[in-house]
Amino acid sequence: MPNRHFVLSLGLLLFGVFAQAQQKFTLSGTISEANSNETLIGVTIAFPELKTGVTTNEYGFYSITLPEGEYTLVVSYLGFQDIRETINLNSNIKRDFNLLEEAEELEEVVVTDDVERLDIRKPQMSVNTMAVQTIKQIPVVLGEADVIKSLLLLPGVSNAGEASSGFNVRGGAADQNLILLDEATVFNTSHLFGFFSVFNPDAIKDVKLFKGGIPARYGGRVSSVLEIFQKEGNSKDFKVNGGIGAVASRLLLEGPIQKDRTAFLVGGRASYAHLFLPLFDVDNKAYFYDLNAKINHKINDRNNIFLSGYFGRDLFSISDRFVNTYGNAVGNFRWNHLFSDRLFSNLSIIYSDYYYGLELDFVGFEWDSGIQNFNLKYDLKHYINDKLQLNYGLNNTYYVFNPGRIKPNSPDSGIVEEQITKKYANENAIYIDIEHQITENLSMQYGLRASQFNRLGQDEFYVYENNNPVEFDPFTLVYQEATPIDTINPGRGGTLKKFFNLEPRISASYNFKGKSSIKASYTRLAQYLHLLSNTSSPTPLDVWTPSGPFVDPQLLDQFAVGYFRNIKDGDYSFETEAFYKDIQNRIDYIDGANLIANKAIERVILNGEARAYGLEFLIRKNEGRLTGWLAYTWSKSEQRTPPRDLRALGIDTGRSDLETGINQGQWYSTPYDKRHDLSVYASYNLNKKWNFNANFIYQTGQPTNYPVGQFEFEGLTAPYYGLRNKERLPDYHRLDVSAILTPKRNERKKVKSEWVFSIYNLYSRRNAASINFRENEDTGRNEAIRTSIFGIIPAVTYNFRF
Amino acid sequence: MKKVVVIIGAFLIFTSCEDVVDVDLPETEPRLIVDGLLRVNKSQEFIDVRIAMRETSNFFEDNPPTQVESAVIAYGIPNEFGEFDSLAFSSLAEEEPGTGIYVPDPNFSSDQRIRTQSAEPGTVFILQISHRDKSYFARTEYASTVPIDNLEQGDDTLFNEDETEVIVTITDNPDHTNFYVFDFGFGNFQALDDRFFMGQQFAFSYFYDNELEPGQQIRVSILGADQDFHNYIDLLVEQTMNNGGVFETPVATVRGNVFDVTELDNIDIFDNVERPNDYALGYFAVVQEFSSNLIIQ
Repeated sequence: MPNRHFVLSLGLLLFGVFAQAQQKFTLSGTISEANSNETLIGVTIAFPELKTGVTTNEYGFYSITLPEGEYTLVVSYLGFQDIRETINLNSNIKRDFNLLEEAEELEEVVVTDDVERLDIRKPQMSVNTMAVQTIKQIPVVLGEADVIKSLLLLPGVSNAGEASSGFNVRGGAADQNLILLDEATVFNTSHLFGFFSVFNPDAIKDVKLFKGGIPARYGGRVSSVLEIFQKEGNSKDFKVNGGIGAVASRLLLEGPIQKDRTAFLVGGRASYAHLFLPLFDVDNKAYFYDLNAKINHKINDRNNIFLSGYFGRDLFSISDRFVNTYGNAVGNFRWNHLFSDRLFSNLSIIYSDYYYGLELDFVGFEWDSGIQNFNLKYDLKHYINDKLQLNYGLNNTYYVFNPGRIKPNSPDSGIVEEQITKKYANENAIYIDIEHQITENLSMQYGLRASQFNRLGQDEFYVYENNNPVEFDPFTLVYQEATPIDTINPGRGGTLKKFFNLEPRISASYNFKGKSSIKASYTRLAQYLHLLSNTSSPTPLDVWTPSGPFVDPQLLDQFAVGYFRNIKDGDYSFETEAFYKDIQNRIDYIDGANLIANKAIERVILNGEARAYGLEFLIRKNEGRLTGWLAYTWSKSEQRTPPRDLRALGIDTGRSDLETGINQGQWYSTPYDKRHDLSVYASYNLNKKWNFNANFIYQTGQPTNYPVGQFEFEGLTAPYYGLRNKERLPDYHRLDVSAILTPKRNERKKVKSEWVFSIYNLYSRRNAASINFRENEDTGRNEAIRTSIFGIIPAVTYNFRF
Repeated sequence: MKKVVVIIGAFLIFTSCEDVVDVDLPETEPRLIVDGLLRVNKSQEFIDVRIAMRETSNFFEDNPPTQVESAVIAYGIPNEFGEFDSLAFSSLAEEEPGTGIYVPDPNFSSDQRIRTQSAEPGTVFILQISHRDKSYFARTEYASTVPIDNLEQGDDTLFNEDETEVIVTITDNPDHTNFYVFDFGFGNFQALDDRFFMGQQFAFSYFYDNELEPGQQIRVSILGADQDFHNYIDLLVEQTMNNGGVFETPVATVRGNVFDVTELDNIDIFDNVERPNDYALGYFAVVQEFSSNLIIQ
């Protein structure tokens, strides 16, 4: 019933808006960078007399409909020169703007970026943007500029440690982040088990992270949306940029194929082999590479098409007896079409694939697993007037899951080839999302996403007694895999289970004189895919699995409220947010669950729940020689898996609680629960030549388990434990610095270059990645061993462009 | 495009390091440990029954032996309803006072030893123990296995040069799903199932961490296992090897098949769900064993 009320009030709001129609005209167009024609995202086109404005969308398009009249308009995007002009709006006007970089003209270099600035009026909250320039300045380990590691400096974002892949947003798991690269889903963001991320910083145009208040056009992951757009290519001049670093080298070429109409971009990044040579004294290799290729073509004023591809791989081998390859491949085609100067559309056809391969010569087998998806989506942006914008669209994704295939690696291996039954699913969604300025002070963004998930049939599907794949022994208190009583072959045409969810989203902003505002939001999201990962952070080997007869979709409810303030005309900004989130059906694993090569994963997982809440603060300085921010987050993240109600499965025990649940059914801290998380980042421009950066991080130690005792069985000594994650590692902190030298340019030479000198972990803090226990071989006594990954690490990177 | 000449000076100090730290560990009550793996050699007349009873103490200390009030093994073949028409008993007594090692009682009025011929597929063994006013119970079914076809030394290493490779060859019984446990000596165990080599002759390598001395004799055993025992050893090895870090599976207490039945009166209390912290550690299993020896070159 609440949903019907929601739709009704939505209709009333719309009616109110349409009723006041009068003589109005539309100004629309595209805003690009003058030297490259690269479209710019988030440029503001303001009309000071009307106190209204609009920003460009992901493809640089804007449209605004205003009453007839003569207005001054200001196009502004920090780091670029403003354009100010008078426009006589007496008919529909199409107007493109080209912006010039400020640094080209001004004496003093001001390296701030508008995109990071706080938008007080917009109802969108819980969103952080990060300028590519900032990402390149932030000191990181081995000097390899890294999108994901930079995001960790923001409030509410953390990860499970230095050598861990993925990131955690507001106490959510790493598999709950939707990562979109040019609209395509990326399933694994890490290189070398998490030391580096898969995004080539040279190719990136825009990075935006939604931590809450997620608009209805996104769905499928419950924790956050990380949306990354890459550059499309320079359609004016041929340009090269690249860099040589301690870990990897990069090269990016872009230029016109047909001037002002067709452009290409080709980029590559490769690390040096033998990166981990010092780790073992045997022959080993570890390297990664990324390739990006794009073409865009402007057919006419109303149509643009984009073709792009990404291919990345990691290779890790030890003396050819253990060979491991994995990575993403993404291909997509996009078509921007303008139905009218007020209706923008984008069609995306996307193929995305994650592959994992392993060869173990000493056991004689090869293994591969992965996920493929085919995604078709159509998104429309309808600019009704300056007060109202409608976004609506539909999305379909077809998934093929390969849980694993094993085959002999040589004719004399005793291994029998086996394909673990592939799984198939189809996910559909339609959405409408309304950005509505209700009064001068109040604006809202509200919408609804209807998502439907169809777990398709497969070749072999197990049937269990009482439909219960996990049995519990009430005496030894151990969960065990049930033995299937039958196998059915539903075939791919059929459906095993269907899910349907309505996901309302609403956020509102009330601003006080345009200087400060209060925002609040509610988000419901459904996630139909689960990453089977039993470790503190995901590993490349983890496989994705769809919801189905035994695994329910994860459902999130998130509430957030915040206060936002710009100080001194936006020179400083302050924001604070409180959030609470609750996730139903978070899967958990029975003790000793074997997730790899498990034919029927439903036998080792139980549906639990998760919750997180916290408070975030962010203070930024946006202007001047010294810029940067301070972020602090207090949060708590927990999960539990209570006993199942066996009567619901039709098992009559005479009691309802004939199980203990996992961890005795009690709440426990997730591995990424960090009570306090403080990050400070500062950047100082001394002069045109030198720029200095520093960041400091302090975090509460990660939850961990220490044994309460040990026992001996057949000469094996094993520890035993109390309840999960009761202990914590020592607190984590470190300081990193970097200096960027831009040598004075010889005017005759076209090459621009810069040197980045960085020191990671300046005071060489031995942060514990883990503490484990083992027997000292000399004394025979157990002792606690701390493993720390990075000590102090200096690095130099050389970047160039011409 | 002009030629780009770059001179790069990069320092790569890769420092993953370990050091010993002090950690306060949580305290806990002592717990009974039953080390009850009975290996059946069919060429012998009797099963070598030796069960070690110990208690846990502080994590940093060894497990002291403990004495039990009574320990009895009952065995028989259940009928189609899972009930025993007849059961044989073997009463155990401490071999030497203070050792905590329990063997068939030599002072009993009758012979308490168990003949290997009574261990047949289908035979169920039950162990009952009284210790410090608590009763414990374990039930297991005899598990047979296949012999080792071949055992030889290999010359490869995996992670470091100190490793010693041995190659074990067995032929899987094609009739049904089989579970195996290999004992490589020195506390090295490996659990294996035949899922990927059903009915095949299968060879695999095992790597000893520390270089073994030339001339040293090693003994490798294959043990029969049911699924529960296989899982127990698998989990035990995993937890023993667990050295923390982000790729490790979550730690867990490896619970065996010996459970506390003290309060189970089947009137008010039918199970242990309400008292999840009352349990014994260790395992009771009766399995067939074949062994091979190898002299390291």
